[in-house]
Order: sequence, then structure tokens, then C-alpha cells
Amino acid sequence: MRPDLMPLSRAQRLALTATSFLFLVIATMALGPLIAGSGWWWLCAFIAAGTLFSGFGLRSIRTPPSLVPVLELVVLLLLLTLLFGGGTSVALIVPTAETFETFGELMAGAQRTIEQQSVPAIPVPPLTFALAVGIGLLAVVVDILVQTARMPALAAAPALVPILIPGFIIEAGAELPTLVLTAAAYLLLLRVDVRVRRRARLAAGEEGDQAATVIAPKRVPIVSTLGASLGLAAVGLLAASVLAASTPSVSTSLLLGSPSQGTLFARGVSPFIDLGRDLRRPEPLPAFHYLARDGDRPYFTLLTLDRFEGEVWSPTQTAVDGDNTVDQMPRPDGLSSAVETSQHPIDVVVDEVRTTWLPVPYPTARIEGLEGSWFWDDGALTVRSVDTNTGGQSYRVTRLDVEPTPQQLRNADRDLDDELASFLALPEEMPAIIAETAVALTASASPYDAAVAIQAYLRGAEFDYSTEAPVEDGYDGGGFDVIARFLETKAGYCVHFASTMAVLARESGIPSRISIGYTQGSPTDQRVDGVQRIEVDSHDLHAWPELYFEGVGWVPFEPTPGRGTVPGYSRPGAGEEGAPPLASAPPTGPGSTGRPDVDPDGGLAGQVADPVATATQLWIRSGVVALAVAVLLLLPALFRLSQRRARIRRIRRDERPADAAWDELAATALDLGAGGNGGETPREFAARLAEREAFDDARARAAIVRLRDAVERERYGPAGGGTAGAAASGSLVDDLATARAALLADAVGAERARALLMPHSLVDGVRRVLGGRARAGA
Amino acid sequence: MSEAAVTVGGAGAYDAPDFVMGIDEIGSRAAAVVQNVETVIAGKRDAVTAALTVLLAEGHLLIEDVPGVGKTMLAKALARSVDCSVSRIQFTPDLLPSDVTGVSVFDQSSRRFEFKRGPVFANIVIGDEINRASPKTQSALLECMEERQVTADGTTYVLDLPFTVVATQNPVEMEGTYPLPEAQRDRFMARISMGYPSPADELAMLSTRETSSPLDRLATVVTLGELRAMIAAVQHVFTSQPVKEYAVELARATRDDRQLRLGASPRATLQLIRAAKAHAAMHGRDFVLPDDVDALAVPVLAHRLVPTSRAIGAHDRDSGPLIDAVVRRIVGETPVPVGSARRI
Repeated sequence: MRPDLMPLSRAQRLALTATSFLFLVIATMALGPLIAGSGWWWLCAFIAAGTLFSGFGLRSIRTPPSLVPVLELVVLLLLLTLLFGGGTSVALIVPTAETFETFGELMAGAQRTIEQQSVPAIPVPPLTFALAVGIGLLAVVVDILVQTARMPALAAAPALVPILIPGFIIEAGAELPTLVLTAAAYLLLLRVDVRVRRRARLAAGEEGDQAATVIAPKRVPIVSTLGASLGLAAVGLLAASVLAASTPSVSTSLLLGSPSQGTLFARGVSPFIDLGRDLRRPEPLPAFHYLARDGDRPYFTLLTLDRFEGEVWSPTQTAVDGDNTVDQMPRPDGLSSAVETSQHPIDVVVDEVRTTWLPVPYPTARIEGLEGSWFWDDGALTVRSVDTNTGGQSYRVTRLDVEPTPQQLRNADRDLDDELASFLALPEEMPAIIAETAVALTASASPYDAAVAIQAYLRGAEFDYSTEAPVEDGYDGGGFDVIARFLETKAGYCVHFASTMAVLARESGIPSRISIGYTQGSPTDQRVDGVQRIEVDSHDLHAWPELYFEGVGWVPFEPTPGRGTVPGYSRPGAGEEGAPPLASAPPTGPGSTGRPDVDPDGGLAGQVADPVATATQLWIRSGVVALAVAVLLLLPALFRLSQRRARIRRIRRDERPADAAWDELAATALDLGAGGNGGETPREFAARLAEREAFDDARARAAIVRLRDAVERERYGPAGGGTAGAAASGSLVDDLATARAALLADAVGAERARALLMPHSLVDGVRRVLGGRARAGA
Repeated sequence: MSEAAVTVGGAGAYDAPDFVMGIDEIGSRAAAVVQNVETVIAGKRDAVTAALTVLLAEGHLLIEDVPGVGKTMLAKALARSVDCSVSRIQFTPDLLPSDVTGVSVFDQSSRRFEFKRGPVFANIVIGDEINRASPKTQSALLECMEERQVTADGTTYVLDLPFTVVATQNPVEMEGTYPLPEAQRDRFMARISMGYPSPADELAMLSTRETSSPLDRLATVVTLGELRAMIAAVQHVFTSQPVKEYAVELARATRDDRQLRLGASPRATLQLIRAAKAHAAMHGRDFVLPDDVDALAVPVLAHRLVPTSRAIGAHDRDSGPLIDAVVRRIVGETPVPVGSARRI
């Protein structure tokens, strides 16, 4: 502890603690624009209060100052266990090994939720956990600065972390009132500290003669501040990375400049293009399997693309709404009570697929049994998670089976809500062939008949399901150019069929969108009580159009020949006299699954189901952060190493060699915590070192004595009295190595690590230079 | 006849010693002397070393201690070890200056005044209880110490070299004493205190002195000529610029210190360096280390410094003499110089 610090009274400590708390929680409010609700803030305030005031309590009972931060961390751990440990703790607050596992999962969830959520984020448990950890650590740092180091001015550094984060994520940055309040709290903290100091000084002054005997050595405060700042920079970076990891969305991408590929579907880049890239990856991966009764063979939607801008299809970017929990999902848009519906439970077990979008049939009434936080999106009813993914999930989907009749579809009202306008939007530069095709197919028909005609046209003999088509560059996708070429060459795969039908439908005045997901999969022999196990793998990935009919809602079509199931209502002539019953037709094309022999759509697996890529991204980014932190932490060590090299060069060049050797020895001792003050002579220093256990060895002792004699003669002896020459400098280097080895051997591992990473001699060197100047000026 | 027109005597000038002594030999000779003296005064190595240091540095020593701890014994043993003349003056309130320096008496046969040399004419002069004499007598001795000569009736008698006064002073306040003023204390190169012997040493002393004084059996280990050669060699010990600066810095620190009313004089700085040279030579070194300065800072500086009344009031008497503590603190706080190339 610094000798010029006056002991504080309990009331003074309380005042400092209370203002530190106020400062920190007000600074935390800066995160407000990023996170929905205010519950998280109260939790942060609770954590900060628990940590800071436990520090106050510990100091009141005269706990050694160096121990207080450690115990505060323990308190933080207990609080986290209480709040997040769940049933894994003993007596609610004592963590067990399981608790730490839970914490690890929460941190992993926090990492995912950053990538997946957008602003404002929903404070799911992993996010609040990460926030709590971050605020707790900041509280400890603030407490160290304000109470232990008595440098409250530097408390601004940790408090800057929550203030700066919004600036990285949203354009406006932190809100002005919060900034003003934080500044006010900071000034209050400084004010309280000044008052406390003044009191302490006055109190010391009243003691009269007693005070006169306490003579503080003249210090240069800049030095300690400098050292503290260097340390803080490292702490700040660590804290920032923790908090950055606990805040949503772009922070990490911005930090490192690369968007996350693992969450492609959430990013609005056209999935088609990326899907096409992996078309030539033939290995199928089991995606998931489900147990369902006969007849329940739905398509599973991952996400829905509704925006078409000429080149790409993309989903409408919407923030996750925290109220949209999947235990109760709404009735789908446009579905009237006239349409027959029924609910069927399907048990889904995810095998290999890892994505933040949950494969669910459209429409779904509710989902049970999911781990983590999952929310449905308005309109599309797609389900996504903000803190976890599909890995290892096992859940029950209650599917709403909508069975419209062709008549209902044909009679659908043509007057559409304005809301649906976006599903009709087509860019202006449409190739003529598209318009011509649309006109030719849908001349005078109702929307339903037009849709059936388009599907029939695309499924006609003219069109081939082709693996050749995607070979050319730029053909992967659903843009105008691609569609135009597709209509000419009449060969392609599901992406082309789906996007073409969607565009033709829009051109004909039918709202359309494209769903991406899985077809119904391949049934297995396992069948229990009429429930069959059906396996879905990456070859079942698919894209299909959905068209909107007023009163029925979104209805899927299947324009891709040889894939999936053609819905009964969409077959030409359905609902007419003599038509086949309105059951779903059996799959057409080769194989019972409707899967083509050569399946380029299998390449879809490349993006959706490749956990390795996501993990690699994560590792690379963590690696870069870790590298940056490591470089920062290693800087002092590198500087120290170069200093040692320079001194050894000085010895070899015979440039005050003993002085250099001695400086290096003294610096090593200082690094190991065995340094002396400036008033120690080489002789005293050598004597002190020689008392250490490692110098019982005669060789080490002799080495240190030789070094000492050499430096004494060089520094204080008559000029030219030293033993010069290569032999002498060689022996100096050897002696230095021997003495250093003995010193290092004497230290315990922690001391050695500290000496390596935080060489105290560097700080001391700065202090000596400044101190020397100060003396010269005095 | 004008004053000091005639100069008489003065054997043993150092600029032309009988022979030149190497620095290594000084170390071994000094060790022999210390060892020899220690056979008489056990367990007081620091005091013995300090006394020898002062002798080699041509200074004067003030021993401040209670009676009967061996102050006189130390001086006598030292004198006997180096084969030089020793005299002892017991200072009393009625002692006259001439009792110290000598007196001119009329010789009937030659019909002229003849100067009877006083006890100050010796290589080592022991002044017992110097604070009991009147200031006038004290100053007579002090003049001899400074000038190394005695002037009587217009004739200046130069004292033989080496000349060292070992004065003792009783610290216990007594009536009828005249404590040495600060200015006069400044003339002593060093002040030491003997301290009581340890019980074991005291017990050993009882058995060795049962029959006779061990002083009688003390052998001479260094001749007077050798002593002069040693002193001459000490003068040539090298003192580097950083060490000189260090001594100046220490003195300056005592002058600026809050706890001190009076700091060290320039004479103190000079004597500190001289003593440090002797200390270095005794350790077989031909150059002075800051350690030599450190080792002698308390004996050389402490008796010259005067603490403030505030510091005296605040001082805890159980923790040893205040001034010693202050000097040690200043030594500890003053940065040790690291060499001329490194100074800014």
C-alpha cells in the first residue's frame, strides 16, 4: 500500500462505495438502447451492489486490501450462482462443477445470441448472464481503482466500456441523457474523493507532532498513474471483449470486420447464391428425423424469402419480438374459419443440422420441448433462436394442417390488403421473356388457375431437372437474369423452379414468396402404433414457392419436377368433376422420396448443416481477439527481453560492461519482487541476494560476488582500473547467466510468470528517470 | 618577538613516509590491529574499527558513554598495538589550559624559560570526561586538535604525527559540566558509544583480568613507521565523482530535513570522505564505495546534527537515539549513485 494514503473512516469508505455504485449503474444505463426492457438493468445493479458493498463490508472488518478484490470475485461468483445456477448449486449460492458447466453453456449461448440478435436484443438468460459477469468484473475493477489504489479518476476507464459499446453497434451511440448523467456521477465520485482526502489530511494535521514524524518520501504521482494506466489498458481490453461478447449483433463483426457466415440466413444475403456454391458437395448429412402418423408428411420450413430486388431474394429483416414465444403461435395470416384445419403433433429430433432457424412445418400452432429461447416471426411464422441453435434439440411441433378445396382457392377474393403489396413487388427491369411467359400462361384465368397453370408449365416435359445448369457462373440464384436464362434453357434445379414460379405468380398478381427448408424426407421401417420414423437428410433440402390466397393464406406449390410432393389442390383439374380425390399425390419421379438420382440440391447442406464452418469462424474470431490480448499482454515481456539483449550487447562491446550486467541482475531481481529501493548499494543488494536459498550454491555465490566487485570497480574505482577485454566480458555474461538462473530457480512459478509478463523493472525504470529529473530540479 | 615566529618539532610528516605500503597490506595490518585490541576489549568490534578508522584518517574521536565501559582501555590498547605514545588527561573543572598544552618554567641553571610539554604531546591523547572542564580549557585542547600544534610564549610546537585525540564524554547530565557546544563537537571526526558488553563478554572479562591487566600483555603489531605509511596510503585512496556527490547529497539532505534544526557542515562532508577512504583501505580497496560512506554516516554525522524540539518530543526513546535513526533514514532514502555515465 502506498505510504501516503491516509486510512479512511468507515463513513468515508461507504460514501466512496455508494458513489462508485451510482457511477457504474448509471454508466450501465448506456446499454439501454441495445437491450429490450429494463429487467437486465436491475439485475446488473443488483450484481454491482452486491460486489461493491461486499467490498465495503470486507474493508470494514479490516480485510487486507490485497485480498478484497479476490473476495469480491468470490462474492460475484456466489451471486451468479444464486441467479443463474438453477438447481446445480448447493444451498442456492455454493457453485458445484455442474454450475460451472451451466455457466459455460450460458457463455456459449451469449456468444451465439450476439451473432443472432439484432438491436434491441431480448435479454435471454445467456445475455443477462454475460452482462452480469461483465458488470461484476467492472465493479471489482472500479472498486480496486477507487478504494485500493485511491485513483478514482481512473474509474472512468472501466465505466467507458458500457458507454462505448452502443457506439460500435448503433449509429447514434449512447443516448445523450445517459452520457450527461454518467458524467455527473463521475464528477460526484471525484468530489466525494476530494472531500474524503481533505478530511483525512486535516485529521492528520491535528495530530501535531505525531504527523511530523511521518515523512512521506517524495513521489512522482505520474509514474504510478502511468503504470496503472498501462495495466488498465489490458484490463479494459479484456473487459471490453467480455462485454462486447455480451451485447448483441454486430459488435464482434465490426470489431473484426468479417460478417458471420454461420448465420447466413439471418443476414439477408441471398441464400441461393451461397447455396449454389456448395452444390458439388455430395455427402449427405442426416439433418433430423421425425415421428408422425401416416399422412403427416409436411415440408419443413427453415426460413422464408419474401423480398425480391431483381438480383436476389432475401428475407425481410425484422427484429426478434420477445413476446413471440413458441408455446403459442398465432393463426396464420389470411386463413379464414371456412377452411378445414386439423392439428397433428409431430416429434422432431435434430441429428446433425446446426442452424438458428428451426425446421417447422408451415403453419405451426405451437412447439414444445425446445431448449433455449426461440421466437416466431410475424407473417412467415418461421422460428429462430437468439441464443442457441438446433443442435441436439428434440421437440414436439403441433402442425396446423390446412386443407383448402380448389373451390375455396378459386373463389378467393382478388382484393388484397395493402400489406401484401410487398409480396407483389417486382423490379422494373424485368426481362421480356418473363412477362411474355406470364401472359401466355395466365391469360384470363383466376389467380388459382393461373398458379396451377404455372406449376403445370414448369413441371411439364419441356423442363428438365438438371445438374448441368448450375455449372455456369452466375446461374446459382433466383434473379431476373437467371430466370430469363432458365426459361430459355428450360433446365435447372429447385431454386430456379421456385424463383421462376414466384416471379411469374407476382407478375400475374398473386402474392408469392419462397420457402427454404426440407422436403418430407424418407420413411424408415420403424413404425410403432401407426407412428412412423422418417429421416430427413441434407439431400432433402429444398426451395419451393408459396402463394397467397385471401381466405386461405399461404399455400405451397411444387413446381420442381421430380422433387417432393405435389399438393392435391394444385394439380390441374383438381376439384373438377371426375378428378382424383383430393389427397396428396404420391411422390413423382424416381425413388420413393421423390429425390432425383443426382441431387444438386444436396449442396444446400453446405451452408445450413455445416457446423464446422460456423465453429471455425468462431474460433478464428476468438483467436484474433485472443491474439490481440496476448500481444498486448506480451508487450512488456518483449520490451524487457529486448532490454536484456541490449545490455548483453553492451557487455560484449565493453561499454560499461559491469554496469550493464549489474543493471540486468537488479532488474531481474526487481521483476521477481526482490528489488531494493534506490538507497541500496550494490554491496547491500548482493548481500541480500546471497541470503536467498539458491545462492547457497558456491558457484552462484561466487558469480554474484564477481559481478558485484566488477560493478563497484567500474562505477567507483579509478578510471582504467577495470578488467577490460573479451575474456572479462565473457565471464561477466556467464556470471550474469549463473546469477539470473539462481534467482529464477529461487522463485516460485507465479513469481516467474509475473516477472515475465509484468516486469516491474520497466515501471521502475520510468520512475527512476522521472525521479532523477525531479531531484535535479530540486 | 612575534607570535609563532619559532616552530619546533613535528616528527613524521606523511608526504615522505619511511616506506610505501600497498593497499592490500593495509587491510591485513588493520585487521591485525583490530584483532589485537579485541583481545582486551571483547565484543566491541564496531567501536574498535571506528577508532582505528579515525586514527588512519587523522581525525579525532569522541566516545560518549557511561563510565567504566572501557573507553580508556580502548584508547590505550590501540596506542599500544601501534607502538605510539599515549597520554591521558583527566578533565576536571579546575583544569587549566596549560595543564593540557604544557607550561614554560624558568630554568635557574640556564636562566631562561623552558617549555615543559603538556600531555597533549603524544600520538594518542585520551581526554577523559572532556565535558567537565571549563570551556577555556576545552578550547585549548580543541585548538591543538585543529591546528596540530601548540603555541606558548610565541613559540609554536608542532605535534608529532599521527596525532589523535580520543575524548570521552559522559552523557548523563550532571551538575558542573560544560557540554561541548555544537561548534566544538564538529571538530571530532566521529562519535561512537561503547555500550555495555554482552553478559558472556562481561563474564570472560572477569576471568581474564583476575590477576593482571591484559594491557600489559598486549603486543605491538604495527610500528609507528608502518602506521604513518598506512595513513599516507589512505590519503591516496581514490574517491570517484559519484561517491563525492553522494556525500554532498547526504550532507545536503541533513540540512533540508524537517526533523533537524542543524545539518551537517562542509567540514562534516570532508571528514566523511576522509573516514570513508580509511574504511575502504582497511577493507583492502583502493577506491571508496558508497557502502564506506554509508557505514560511517552515523558515527561521522550524528554528533553534529541537532534535532528540532518537535522531533525530540515525538521520538520514542525506546527505539534508540533519535539522531542515529534520522541519519539512517536519510542514508536509506538518498539514492545511491550509479556512476558518472548515468547521471543526467
